[in-house]
Amino acid sequence: MYKDKIIQRIQKNKHSLRPLPENPPKMEDKIDLSAKFCENLKIVGADVFRIDDESLVSPFIDLHFPNAVDFSDPETWKEYSSTDPIDKFNKLNTVILRGQFGVAENGAVWLDDTFFSQRIVPFIAQHLVIKLSKKNLVGGMVEAYRKINLTKTGFGVFISGPSKTADIEQVLVFGAHGPLKHTVLLIN
Amino acid sequence: MEMNVNYKIGLFIPCYIDQFYPQVGIATLELLVKLGLNVDYPLKQTCCGQPLANSGCEADARSIYLNFVNNFREFDYVVSPSGSCVYHVREHYNILEQTEEVTRIRQNTYELCEFIVDILKVEDLKISFPHKVGIHHSCHGLRGLKLGASSELVTTRYSKVHRLLEKADKIELITLEREDECCGFGGTFSIFEPDISVKMGTERILDHERNGAEVITATDMSCLMHLEGIARRNKNKVKFNHIAEILNQSRL
Amino acid sequence: MMNHAAKAGKFLADLKRADWHDQTLWIMRKKRDKAVSCVPEWEELRDKASQIKEHVLSNLDAYLLQFEVEAVKNGAQVHWAFDSESFNQKVYSIINGYQAQKVVKSKSMLTEECGLNPYLEDKGIEVVDTDLGERIIQLRGEPPSHMVVPAIHLKKEEIGELFHSKLGTEKGLADAQKLTSAARQHLRKKFLSAEVAITGVNFSVAETGTVVVCTNEGNADMGVQIAPVQIHCMGIEKILPRVEDLGIFIQMLARNATGQPITTYTSHYQKPKPGGAMHIIIVDNGRSEHLGNSKYRDSLKCIRCGACLNTCPVYRRSGGHSYNYVISGPVGSILSPIYSINKYKDLPFASSLCGSCTNVCPVKINIHQQLYSWRQEIFEKRLIPTSKRYGFKFAGKILASSRYYNFFGKNIRWALKHLPRKVLYHRINIWGRCRELPPAPDKTFNQWYQENYKRN
Repeated sequence: MYKDKIIQRIQKNKHSLRPLPENPPKMEDKIDLSAKFCENLKIVGADVFRIDDESLVSPFIDLHFPNAVDFSDPETWKEYSSTDPIDKFNKLNTVILRGQFGVAENGAVWLDDTFFSQRIVPFIAQHLVIKLSKKNLVGGMVEAYRKINLTKTGFGVFISGPSKTADIEQVLVFGAHGPLKHTVLLIN
Repeated sequence: MEMNVNYKIGLFIPCYIDQFYPQVGIATLELLVKLGLNVDYPLKQTCCGQPLANSGCEADARSIYLNFVNNFREFDYVVSPSGSCVYHVREHYNILEQTEEVTRIRQNTYELCEFIVDILKVEDLKISFPHKVGIHHSCHGLRGLKLGASSELVTTRYSKVHRLLEKADKIELITLEREDECCGFGGTFSIFEPDISVKMGTERILDHERNGAEVITATDMSCLMHLEGIARRNKNKVKFNHIAEILNQSRL
Repeated sequence: MMNHAAKAGKFLADLKRADWHDQTLWIMRKKRDKAVSCVPEWEELRDKASQIKEHVLSNLDAYLLQFEVEAVKNGAQVHWAFDSESFNQKVYSIINGYQAQKVVKSKSMLTEECGLNPYLEDKGIEVVDTDLGERIIQLRGEPPSHMVVPAIHLKKEEIGELFHSKLGTEKGLADAQKLTSAARQHLRKKFLSAEVAITGVNFSVAETGTVVVCTNEGNADMGVQIAPVQIHCMGIEKILPRVEDLGIFIQMLARNATGQPITTYTSHYQKPKPGGAMHIIIVDNGRSEHLGNSKYRDSLKCIRCGACLNTCPVYRRSGGHSYNYVISGPVGSILSPIYSINKYKDLPFASSLCGSCTNVCPVKINIHQQLYSWRQEIFEKRLIPTSKRYGFKFAGKILASSRYYNFFGKNIRWALKHLPRKVLYHRINIWGRCRELPPAPDKTFNQWYQENYKRN
């Protein structure tokens, strides 16, 4: 009922068609994407560790995040299913996820539920650790959106740094509602 | 200078300069004559109509606009020591019927500094001004006439006013904390929102003073009238000179 | 209702606080400048963003219909609301359909515009605003003063007092970190027990039926990913044609709003979560009518970044509550008269027309020109006091004739020169309250020219 009324009003009032500009792919600047990515991660309040090889990741995690729950391991999903009570997830301290790709321009990492099904995990934990391959970096957001196929996901998110707020006198505080800490393991 | 000496330049002097700051008009006229121009000042000119139009009654300003057009129809260029008046003519005289004459006048009305830089293509006026000077970038000139690149824009920085002043001998141009914040005059805004208007003006003066300005200059005497009014009330030491007075090396 | 000038006067009476407010927002403007200067093609992006939005508005019906088809295919339920009343009713009926009573809500200026919270609360629904700034003002019972940083007008001591009274924190606590931590714990309990999560919509995509929400706190996701029911509230103008268009807008939004390269979370809600329900409400509330007004239609491009507020020297020195409208500052002053030109007739005059707002707008809305146009309309509709109207008409006649102009000019200069200071600076002289009047020379330029000027 309202739909028809709204659509009719729009059709009556809209102006003549304006062109839609195209977004031609930008020539990627020959910059060191991983250096820029790391620089921006620091700006947004994240920690970043460069790991030389995939084989060194597990030992690194065991050493630095011994109690982390690794959600990049499909076995973990069986232990934490989406039908489990939320309190179980609320007890999560450090969680590990694999990021699909990173954006050098702003230190953001894309994660979507083609790789994990418990959508609350990146938000509810106290510390989020993301494993990311260095080769999966793009320069900017225009390139980033070309990599994503939203129709194949149910939910996806760019995460850039820890949860933050400056709502109290513009003082920057980490950990407003989401994780207080955000770490990226950038793997060669 | 490539200007054809046969070009007729019409001098438009804003109403408040005519009435309260004639020295600025005199400086403008003398400067243009020094630059070898054939300048005339139509005697029946009054005002550009901006005070009414900015207050919402541009319909009642029509007859003022027509008086402007009548006075300046004979000229090749109209030059004025006022960014806001020139902006008003170029932007808001669109409510008049756009005859060939109206169109021509609108396209050829210039603020003094942009006329010198863009039309006369002169930047070094061979002047001396041994003072610390703060430039107040009047908004209509800056953002409306693009006399400079305002600080919000991501673009090459430039300022025609700066370009004319930096060549003056012994001048020191100061840097402000807020490069191009509005002074708060805004025409009738200064009366209808007086508290904010005065606060804005007070802070502009303080910014200049904190950064060492001895003289504040601008393309618009309206801004300076407002700032000087505050400065005299508060007994600030800084002095005010319209850009025309500095460029003309008037006895200040 | 006190007009903007009167409220601004009151705001400025507390000079220390007013200076602090101005400086805080100026810093946000400088952060914005730094962030946008890192994007050398920024001005081209503004052009593009503006063109995309103009295209959308010229094809809005098709995109909304396409969006609905895609969203429904994704498993979302799509609803349409014509005005604030039908919107509030729809939200309530969805909530009531699930027999829910606990709602968490992330930032949505649309829900503020429609007065959703009081409507739901009246019906016994608990609505908790989860953005920290919004929660603070909700607890205080006041409207937001800025669309991005709603509690920017408050000092941490005041927030400390508020939290002590409402959340039981220690008296005198004024540390931002500790106060935020207290809010985190308090709101986490609300998230964990919420039955419905309501969000706004920063952008939606017609091509895929996607809803995009940008937050720094993660409160939208803490709500949506826990509560079984999610409701996204979208103004009709928020739609974008393609996923690739997000590339431009996401690059611009946070840089312009807060000076960050991107918000912490840019969440793309595509399908309901397993076992959950997803609702999208498409809201008109006057926008389709606004679309037909060619002078002011451009303000529908607004992406609510708040940059025009931060740059506005008037907003910074008067505060958001001086505007009496849910959206304050320059964009609020051109949107509000569309809803009620009589109620908001003072707002287009709350500006010196400096044009800074137009220059920071990421979608190139001609804000200062719209302010000028509104002034003409307000005058034409005789909403200015009669005395002022006649005063200006009279001035129009004087200034059109050199004879009258010179006559009045002479008398004004005589008065300036000869009247005693007590008379000249009577309080009726608004200019003279804090400023000296201009000097009164003996001769005008016109007279000097006639007497002195000899052609070369």
